[in-house]
This record gives sequence, C-alpha cells and structure tokens, in this order.
Amino acid sequence: MTPIERFAAYGRGQPIDRLPCVPIVGNTAARVIGVKVSEFRGNGRLIADAQVAAYRRFGYDVIRVFTDLYTQAEAMGARVHYPEDETAYLEAPAIDSADRIGTLRPADPRKDGNLPHHLEAMERTVQAVGHEAVVTGALTGPFTTASFLIGTETLVRMALKNPAAVHQLCGIALEASLAYAEAILDAGCTPSVTDAMCSSTVISPKQFQEFGFPYLKKLIGYIDSRGRAVTLHICGKTRAIWEAMADTGAACLSIDNDANLAEAKTKVGDRVRLMGNVPPSEVMLQGTTAEVRQATRRVIAQAHDNPKGFVVASGCSLPVETPFANIDAMLDAVREVGWPIQKEALA
Amino acid sequence: MTNQTLSDSPADLYQSLSDAVVGMDEDGVRALANAAVERGVDAYTAIDRGLVDGMSRAGVLFETEEYFIPELLICADAMYAGLDVLRPHIKRASTRARQRVVIGVVEGDTHDIGKNLVKIMLDASGFEVIDLGRDVPPQRFVDEAVAHGAEVIALSTLMTTTMDAMAEVVTLLRDAGLRDRFRVVVGGGPISQKFSERIGADGYSPSAPGAVKLVKQLAGEAA
Repeated sequence: MTPIERFAAYGRGQPIDRLPCVPIVGNTAARVIGVKVSEFRGNGRLIADAQVAAYRRFGYDVIRVFTDLYTQAEAMGARVHYPEDETAYLEAPAIDSADRIGTLRPADPRKDGNLPHHLEAMERTVQAVGHEAVVTGALTGPFTTASFLIGTETLVRMALKNPAAVHQLCGIALEASLAYAEAILDAGCTPSVTDAMCSSTVISPKQFQEFGFPYLKKLIGYIDSRGRAVTLHICGKTRAIWEAMADTGAACLSIDNDANLAEAKTKVGDRVRLMGNVPPSEVMLQGTTAEVRQATRRVIAQAHDNPKGFVVASGCSLPVETPFANIDAMLDAVREVGWPIQKEALA
Repeated sequence: MTNQTLSDSPADLYQSLSDAVVGMDEDGVRALANAAVERGVDAYTAIDRGLVDGMSRAGVLFETEEYFIPELLICADAMYAGLDVLRPHIKRASTRARQRVVIGVVEGDTHDIGKNLVKIMLDASGFEVIDLGRDVPPQRFVDEAVAHGAEVIALSTLMTTTMDAMAEVVTLLRDAGLRDRFRVVVGGGPISQKFSERIGADGYSPSAPGAVKLVKQLAGEAA
C-alpha cells in the first residue's frame, strides 16, 4: 500500500498492511543525500531532493518539509544562526521590548526570509511524491513564533505583567501564520502545526488557554476550512491541555515522550487521532536497534486501539545524527507487528 | 506596608519578605527589604529566612505544577530586587564561604531558560554561581572552574547536536588530570541518566529543583 492508500483505508476502518509510521525526519534528510545541513538554507530544491530521498530510503508515511522552527520569526526580523552542519538556532529575537511590537510586520511568505524557499521545497516534494505520500509543511504556532520575536523570557514575563502586549504580539504572529498557512496550502501541502512554547513544561495550562489556544484555534480553523486535517504537536508535558488541544480542531495530536499515550487515549482518544512517542534522543539517537524495536512495540501496545486511530511516531523531530539503522528498526517493528494487531506480537 | 512592618517582629518581617517573593510582589519585596535595613535587622538572616525561603517555596510550587516558568521568573525578579537592597548590608562575620558552581549552556545552543532556572535556584540555595551564559565552548567551562575554584560544573543543553560538547568537557577535565577536582552535572531536554553515566558525568536531573538537590549532594561530597 502507498501511504495515501494506507491512511485512507485506516480512516475507513478497512484492512491495512500495518499501522502508519512516521519517524519525524527533519535535517537527518541531509545525511541521506550526503549534503551539509547549512546547504538547505535558501535552497528549496535541495530540501525537496533530501526529503524525497529520505522518504524513498525509509518508506515512512508522512513527509514533513522542515528544517527548524524559526523560519517565520526569521522572516520577521529574528536572527538565526546556521552552523555548518547542524540544525539552526535562534541567535537573537527581532525585538527586545514590548514597546517595539508596533514595528513588526507579518511576513510575506512569497518574499521574506527563507519562506519562499521552503514553499518551493514543499511544491517540489508534492510534485515528486504527492500522489503516493502525505506531504506536510512545518508551520510554527503563533505563541511560539511570538517567543522567537521577542525572546522567551521576555514573553513569559509579559504573560503575567503585560498580557495585552502578549495578545498584540500573538495577533501579529497569527496574521503571519495565516498567510504562510495559505501559501503552504496553495503549494499543495498540509500545514503541520508545532507550538512548542505552549508546553506545560513552560507555561501553565491557564496561560495556554489565554495566550496559546485562541490563536491556534483560529489558525487550525482556517486550515480545516480548506479541507485539510491538521496535526498539532506541542513538546514536553501536555497532559493538562489535551482537551484544549482537541478543542483547537486538530484532527491528530502528536504527543511528546514526556507525556503518556495510554493516558491521552483515555482522555481524548475518542476525539482525536494520536501520534507518538518513541523518545527521539534517548532511544532513536542513542539507543540500539533492539531498544528502538522495544520502544516501538511499547507505544503500539499503549495506543493502537485508540478510537480515532494511531500513528506510530517519534515523540518529536529526530536529531540530525539519528542512525539510519534505528529509523529502519522503527519501521521494521511496525511491519512485524502488522495488522490486525495481535497481543502476542507486542510482547 | 513599610509602616506596618516597622511595628512587626523580625520574624514577621522575614515571613512578609518570603510571602512577597512567593506572591511575585517585586515592589513589596523592595519596600520590605528597605524596612529591614532601616530597622537594622540582620541582613543575612533577612535574606536567608525571607528571600531565600520565599524562592524555595516558589520552587516547591513549581515542582507541584502550581507555578510554571513565568511565575518562577517573576518570583526570582522579586528575590533579586530584595538581594540588591540587602546584600550591601551583610555583616562580614555572618557570611560563610559559599560553594561555587560554574554553569552554562554548551556550545551550539542558545536555549537558556532551563539553565537560568537552575542558576536562580542555586543562587537561592546559597551557592555562588558563576554563569558563563550560553553557547559556551567546552574548554571555557574547565578554565573558569579552575579560575574560580568551583566545586561543581553544571552543563545544560536543549539540543542533541550539542550533547557531544558535554562529553568533551568531561574528557578535557580527565586529560588535564582535573577530573577528581570537580563534580560535573548535566541537564536539559535530550539528556538522560543513561547519557550522564555514559559520558562519565557525576549526575543528571530532569528538573531545576532536582538539579539543586543534586548539586547540594555532590558539593557535600566534594567538600
């Protein structure tokens, strides 16, 4: 079955050959075609070549065109550092205080920063394999982009001391996210939303309700209105906000390894599909293939009977140097378990 | 508030300072700290039983998930506002030598909230913290730890690409024959107990309050 056939049959409750499986490959794709991570900067064709090659090499079900979470913030003035052969990181936010928020303008996805190159990568990936695989484009959530625009510590202090300014900034970030979402959809891709800073490892569930949720709901509502099912990923601890994450209209929640899939299934499994959560660092990067297989069987045991379905996945994007053998081991374990799932196969 | 506290006992004043720190009341802490100075209350005790006590209560609320990073940062702002007022008034006799911790985010990473939280909690627990900031090269941890006569080196990262730099610090210490002089602790998103053991660090903690307990325990061993 192709990934698209597999998802379609799974969604209709028809027989499939195995559960969908998504080791979330980002910059590891550079290793597949033997280029340096920094070569992706400003090169949509190369990102597409790498993502397509990685998909063909490993045979997973969802391609996510992604290099880092900063693309939207960068297009609005944040400074991003690009190490030669590692994932980029934020060097400095666009502004350093609330009184500068008025100077920010929502990015134009066709012109600003690296957004046009990412859109090109999405278009090319869809052209190459969109007929058989699900191709998504990474979209950073408004609250998280806001944190990159003004600095995380400044933003979370403002959440308590100047909530109006947080809303002003998130409003601008939302406008930028909506424009980028539209462009991603026009490229033939489904936006896949990550809102890392909404994690309960960072802000309280109450603060998420106030500053994260309303903007996510608008963003996901828009994508949904264009007929695309959205996967929402929030890193770290999320147990206290699963209900709210489902209320955003997301069709699938991608759960980090800091949270428990079996619990998520009980709490929101009748409302959303779940995806997760083999530990990216401890198991996928540092573990043996045997440990990857064991962890993969464990997550299947926890969530394969989720009422709205389950996608075997890593808990977050894979580290660049994740061994290919471990990515293969995850898919092999899912193939071995097969379908329908027998309890003995999960031991 | 100041007038009221003038009639209170020192113990009440300490309690009010502690409450104002937990209550995220930076202005209140500053006013109370000034009142303490005016009344000639022992500054060291006011810090210890007031500010530090408040920050440690905030740490407990963080552990029980009543407080999150925003609350903890504002409590810390309040604590530091009080420290600015009270520290110049500490009598020399009442200061004991504080154990030193060199802390930083390893090279290749600029995520420093986790490191900052640990720094705040260590500060509040009586350690002298030498903060090297973020994106710190391995050799600098070694050099600064030697220069400051630190007991503990604390390494933080959120990115897997920088985990090797943590191992590098341990290797540099070993190669320089300095490994036994320092305790090395590691933390951050992708780090685990297993990783800590593999690179030969002395300890790992998944949380900021846990890191302080770990450092206390290890610094005790080193002393």
